[in-house]
Amino acid sequence: MENLQEYLPFLIPLAVIQLGLMLSSLIHVLRHKTYRVGNRVLWVVLCLVVSVIGPVLYFAIGKGDE
Amino acid sequence: MKAFIAFTKKEFTESLRTYRLVILAAVFLMLGVMSPLIAKIFPELFSGVDMGGGLTIIMPEPTVMDSWIQFFSNVGQMGMLALIISFSGIMANELSRGTLINLLTKGMKRHTVILSKFLSASTLWTASYLLCLAVCYAYTEYYWPGGVLHNAFFAFLAPWLFGEFLIALLILGGVLFGSYTGSLLSCFGVIVSMLILNIFPAAQKYNPIVLAGDTLQLLNAQKELPDFIPAAILCAASVVLLLALSVVAFNKKRI
Repeated sequence: MENLQEYLPFLIPLAVIQLGLMLSSLIHVLRHKTYRVGNRVLWVVLCLVVSVIGPVLYFAIGKGDE
Repeated sequence: MKAFIAFTKKEFTESLRTYRLVILAAVFLMLGVMSPLIAKIFPELFSGVDMGGGLTIIMPEPTVMDSWIQFFSNVGQMGMLALIISFSGIMANELSRGTLINLLTKGMKRHTVILSKFLSASTLWTASYLLCLAVCYAYTEYYWPGGVLHNAFFAFLAPWLFGEFLIALLILGGVLFGSYTGSLLSCFGVIVSMLILNIFPAAQKYNPIVLAGDTLQLLNAQKELPDFIPAAILCAASVVLLLALSVVAFNKKRI
């Protein structure tokens, strides 16, 4: 891992997508009160801990109707 | 036809508003970047590690095939999972909210709903898969230029075909059970039974699940095209059959 620079073309887009998914789902969870399934604690934990699949699950199943 | 176009437009708007489109694109973009990265970084992480007693692991230099191995395993597992979860509510959302009642009583044909939903879902899936493939190809070609791939078209077509099969399966599950849990569980049930069936060598040739990742063996010419043709034909036929069944079941269903 001495040449981190070599990996930057991979790491930057990966980090942007991962963080983007995590943050957008987290903000959505915190700004809404009702969920179709589960509660706020569950979704915050899932969005933060389970990378990628957590946010996907939230937007597909957890998000309540607006 | 007018109703079909209008309903399909509505489906795309829905995908946009429920963030389904963005999420799928992001996930598959990520898988496309991740695959070559894992292929490249994995040997470096382990090579030269002293295991004690003078034992060191020597990893071979990663090749173009390692990148595609990662591509097929990532898309075949995490990609398919993301696809299944994203489209689990494709029928259930409307059935449970009763949003279809108005449209159907105004004279829209029921098969229009099924076919339009399938078309919009497959368009999304096709676009995300192509995005993933293009990104992975670009990185792979940049880091390992000039790799030779055999039967590339069919090898990459196979996971896409399996994805279409999953979408048709989710639609049928949604129609039959009317809830996204029913849709999800029936889909996972079919996948698990296919995995169990795959233990028997005689069934492997015809089992559509081999399309989800095994066509990698076409790229490095370990297997030949005829090994996968029966499974592909069966998979394509199942898509048509599942859609026909969905239409029949939906026609009989009370909304």
